[in-house]
Amino acid sequence: MLYQQLINGLMLGASYSLVAIGYTLIFGVLNLLYFAHGEVFMIGAFVGLYMVTLGGANIYVALLGAMLASALVGVIAVYISVRPVSKDHPLAPLISTIGLTIVIQNLAIYIFGGQQVAFPDTISDTLYHIGPITISSVQIFILTVAVVLMALLWLFIERTKMGRAIRATAENHETAALLGVDVNRVVLMTFIIGSGIAGIAGVLDGIKNSGISPFMGIGAAVKGLIVMLLGGLGNVFGAMVAGLLLGMIEILTSAYIGTTQRDFFSFAILILILLYKPTGLFGTRTTEQR
Amino acid sequence: MREIVTSGVCLAIEGLTKRFGGFYALNDLSMEVAQGAIHGLIGPNGAGKTTFFNLLTGVLPPDSGKIVFEGEVVDDTRPSKRTVRGIARTFQNIRLFPHLTVLESVMIGEHCRVFPSVWKAFGKAVFQLPFHEAAEERQMRATALELLEFLGLADKHDHKASDLPYGEQRKLEMARALATQPKLLLLDEPAAGMNPHETEELDDIITRIRDRGTTVILVEHDMRLVMGICDRVTVINFGTKIADGPPEQIQNDPVVIEAYLGEDVEL
Amino acid sequence: MLDSLFDGYTRSLLIFAGINVISAYSFYLPYKTGQVSLGQAGFMAVGAYASAVMTQKFGMPFAASLVVAGVIAGVVGVAVGFPALRIKGVYLLLLTLGFSEIIGVIALSWGYIGGAQGFPNISFNPFSLDYVTGLVIVLIFFFARLERSSLIAGLAGALFAHQATYLDSSTFGIMVSVEILMFVIVGGGSTYWGPFVGAVVLNAIPEILRSLHDWLELVPVSWTNYYPMNRIYDFLHSFLDFENAKRLIAFGLILIVMMIIKPDGLVTRDSLRHALRPLQFWRWKVRRA
Repeated sequence: MLYQQLINGLMLGASYSLVAIGYTLIFGVLNLLYFAHGEVFMIGAFVGLYMVTLGGANIYVALLGAMLASALVGVIAVYISVRPVSKDHPLAPLISTIGLTIVIQNLAIYIFGGQQVAFPDTISDTLYHIGPITISSVQIFILTVAVVLMALLWLFIERTKMGRAIRATAENHETAALLGVDVNRVVLMTFIIGSGIAGIAGVLDGIKNSGISPFMGIGAAVKGLIVMLLGGLGNVFGAMVAGLLLGMIEILTSAYIGTTQRDFFSFAILILILLYKPTGLFGTRTTEQR
Repeated sequence: MREIVTSGVCLAIEGLTKRFGGFYALNDLSMEVAQGAIHGLIGPNGAGKTTFFNLLTGVLPPDSGKIVFEGEVVDDTRPSKRTVRGIARTFQNIRLFPHLTVLESVMIGEHCRVFPSVWKAFGKAVFQLPFHEAAEERQMRATALELLEFLGLADKHDHKASDLPYGEQRKLEMARALATQPKLLLLDEPAAGMNPHETEELDDIITRIRDRGTTVILVEHDMRLVMGICDRVTVINFGTKIADGPPEQIQNDPVVIEAYLGEDVEL
Repeated sequence: MLDSLFDGYTRSLLIFAGINVISAYSFYLPYKTGQVSLGQAGFMAVGAYASAVMTQKFGMPFAASLVVAGVIAGVVGVAVGFPALRIKGVYLLLLTLGFSEIIGVIALSWGYIGGAQGFPNISFNPFSLDYVTGLVIVLIFFFARLERSSLIAGLAGALFAHQATYLDSSTFGIMVSVEILMFVIVGGGSTYWGPFVGAVVLNAIPEILRSLHDWLELVPVSWTNYYPMNRIYDFLHSFLDFENAKRLIAFGLILIVMMIIKPDGLVTRDSLRHALRPLQFWRWKVRRA
């Protein structure tokens, strides 16, 4: 039973991690709480859904399409709500991206309707029994995609020029700019990567819950924020681990304490971390001071 | 006179002015820096030296005046473009990337020479095999290690930048700036907080940087260092130039001596 | 008193606008000392539920419950504010957000105040407009002396409860806090007129879009029979259609454009000076330092 719950926790946590990665990347390079990230996640889910239902695509093509569409939303976000907005007003980018959140969410309601839509079964559901654990092929698929994605991102961040530039910009964007790092370019790339991953997370979430709605973004955004903080602001590795951790905590509380208390615990963790360990579990990687 | 006449003018400043409210941080400053020179820029605290660097690197826009670098007027608004042009700097209060390793920090400096645009990067990722990236990385790594060797930091290349002792952090800043392959290097008080032995070493490093063909502008309070290695010294006070000439002449200039009255500095 | 001046629709518009002004000031108080809160909706929820419980479960009159609601929200504010003192910037933003979400979870899970079913049938207060007007006037003129932002948010919440007559855990979600923040930023945080103007304008925009649609109906049909007027008419007609999603899209776009062209907000010292210039002819010669 416990193992079973841990698997469920990993499943939930994987999508938290994927959303939080984008958050923490973007927070790192811009020191911006990018609220629209949850909506990007939602757009990814819808693009995936329509590629499967209308386009008849298989799930891998749908994942790729969702990733590209979400990345495009990220690019649009940069060009309309980040670049033109003055950096001298600390809250201006926050408000403009909130405006974008409102626009995207209501566009989605307008286009897709305000109801929950069922996500089609694209993977044949077989159950595997490994010792005491029962795991379905859907679960294996979701976990595999999430793990592969995180591993690739990890390699990208640690081993490539762009990844290094992103890390340097997160630590001190002024100094990075003075060393010739084109910060605008890094910010754009960060949005593309973060948004693409969030789009895939949206599809995975749709598969897992077998339903999506235009309102799924806000919840994901708030959980993403908690995970980002838990892992340490700007710390990509931290976001990965913290997402899995929060997923397990939530599943365990809802299994052994109660479903309504689940969110209470998440927010209690948020507040405790803020008060006693604001650098998160793995340390911050930004210039933001407490 | 140790005037370098073999080469032309690296940097020419004409009537540079910067106001903050009613306060003139720089007022109609004009000067020339010869190619391949070590040019000292001194002045009492608050004379406008830091503002000067900020204008040169594009962090702040000037209110009026021209910056001519290598014969071209520099008016890019983004600091990273200035770096690409060949102007690099170090900071008075050290600004490292604490969680990057020494080697990575230096490699960041090389980015402006090898970095493709986002769209090109995607093109590369899609159309070229991954070993191209790997080869480029190897090349960058080798260059970075060479630079670290040059500054005597090679054996610490895998340390975290924040773990280095103070003097080596200063050297790392220089290595990082040199990695951008600058034609002009701005050093902002590199000797601050260094012991006499380290300062001596610094003397040697700056000379060797010049010998690599990089023009150096040195802002420094340590007059022994300035007078010892600079080919020419400009003195500013309250944002205006009050003297300009070879070190021997500056040391005996009554205007300069007066400007420094009350400051604990030995000219 | 004031209620008789307006018809029901206008009255409720004014009341909700007034509640928004009050909540905007509750955000503005800590904001002007540099603390940005995303938890004002949480304090509103505390006030709203407190007042609802007082009137419905204990039979308290509205005026008294309003005071109690304010005090309870104020006390909660002290409890939250104390640890929040050592926190700044984005961390405070997250802390207040977390607080407000916790209030939401409590509202959802506590059966006594309705839980998931919500708190229905709260007595309607027919004099809300008087209360709201009075409070707004007090806030504008005695603003500098006020201390407890959570108390003010609690009052706004209590007024809301007795106007909407129904509460549930989603009434004061994160978007409410976000809206409150937007009132102040859009209005302008540098003067104390900003929150007022911001709340009024942002409340008015959806109404203006709606009335533009109504006015469009007044265009004579003969004008719109031919190209290109027919196309323009059709576009405007569908764009301004009274549909929530579309109006909110326009609203979001306005916010983005606003942040690009006027990130200081609508009301700044300069714009105030321009607006008041005719009244200050004796100061024309005075230049800005």
